Amino acid sequence: MPDAKEQITTTIFAVIFVLLFFGVLFIVMLTYIHYRRRQNAREKKEMQDQFDQHLMQSRLEIQEQTFRYLSEEIHDHVGQLLSLAKIQLSSFKETEPVDFPMLKDAGANVARALQDLRSLAKGLHAGHIRHFSIREAVDEEVARIRKAGGLVVSVTSEGTEKKIKEEKQLILFRIIQECLQNCLKHSAATNINIGFTWYAEQLRVRVRDDGTGFDTENNPALRNGLGLENIRNRASLSGGSSIIHSRPGEGTTVTVQIPYE
Amino acid sequence: MTLLYFQYFQIFSLLLALVCRKGLNFFSIGILIPILLVDNASDIIGANYTRIFHSPDNYFVFNVYYLVSTPLYLYLFAIMLKGDHRERRRIFVTGVVIELLIAANYLFIQGHLAFDSFTSLLVNLTNFVFSCLILTRLAMRKEEDKHLLVDPYFWINAMILLFSLVSMIALGLQKYIAVNHIQLVGKNLYFALMQAANAALYTGYSGAIVLCQTQRSK
Repeated sequence: MPDAKEQITTTIFAVIFVLLFFGVLFIVMLTYIHYRRRQNAREKKEMQDQFDQHLMQSRLEIQEQTFRYLSEEIHDHVGQLLSLAKIQLSSFKETEPVDFPMLKDAGANVARALQDLRSLAKGLHAGHIRHFSIREAVDEEVARIRKAGGLVVSVTSEGTEKKIKEEKQLILFRIIQECLQNCLKHSAATNINIGFTWYAEQLRVRVRDDGTGFDTENNPALRNGLGLENIRNRASLSGGSSIIHSRPGEGTTVTVQIPYE
Repeated sequence: MTLLYFQYFQIFSLLLALVCRKGLNFFSIGILIPILLVDNASDIIGANYTRIFHSPDNYFVFNVYYLVSTPLYLYLFAIMLKGDHRERRRIFVTGVVIELLIAANYLFIQGHLAFDSFTSLLVNLTNFVFSCLILTRLAMRKEEDKHLLVDPYFWINAMILLFSLVSMIALGLQKYIAVNHIQLVGKNLYFALMQAANAALYTGYSGAIVLCQTQRSK
């Protein structure tokens, strides 16, 4: 029966070959899956590194901007008031009688400088903001601006107020602060409206002014100068988005949408 | 003393394992040394059993081999699976059941005088399942920094998987091949297949041992 044996041998070989083929295929497949997973993990890590770098850059920019703001505030307000107080006080001479109205004026200037410093510290201190809701913090900021005079600032709200994650609240507050600073410094606006719209999953904040406006499309340098890039970065850092709409003579509208969680 | 060609691979892997034992311990697979000792001993005795003991066959040696080596292999798999306490307990229970089946087959079903082909099938099937499980787990693991091809576990399990596939056919049909004198280039088909499969298995083990040692040195 040599043919039968040959057939059996061939069949055994064929079965072994098929099994080995599937065995090797399984091993190659697993190796490939592992290779793909490693590649994906590497890409993910690279993306994460890039994001971290971007985040760090944004933080540095924000910090730099804060320092600039601080320097300007101290120089333009506190510094001026204290300089004036110093001039007033240095005009007093031991030999001459005390000019009480001037002394009172100098005292008032020192008090205003102190008030400005307190207000500045309050606006910058994150711990202070964390104690309030976003609406309360914005109301306080608006009260501070109203006190300075020259601007009509209104705050409106639609929907039921919801709780926002602490870090997101701080980021949103800084964005609103940035918008208000832009209105005060650059827009020559007379009216500002801050509108809150509380949706089911996210909060929309719209800061609208009736100032001079600017051309965002054709002037990227101006856009960066106004910290609009920071507004975008901050919004995306908190998982949200921002739209900046402005045209010369038509005012500026900054819309930020941030999820609660 | 007769030594078949695959036994040189086997002895080489045992010597390598003894030299690189620190590397094996580094990967917690020091159990490979007793496994290789049992493999070497059974194959050396098996190759010379008929001549020394004037026995018509050496089935007794390999029937005992399955009884002794199966718990060692299951222990190796349990280590390589890196499972939690519950999983190890499950493997232990599986091991006990398999060992009982092997013992029952050895004592009552096929007996110690015939080759226990059921045992061989069961053991190879178990090895196949466990090696597939370990390979899948290795491919899906979280530590992405290490390439699969430089992992000693990968080579051990890949070779066990391929070996058990060949063994399932060759050992399962062992009696049929012997009775019908089925041959390949003048050699018994069973011997031809198993020697080649063994040579590949121990080459894989040797590679894995070298990887253990080189990675320990890094």
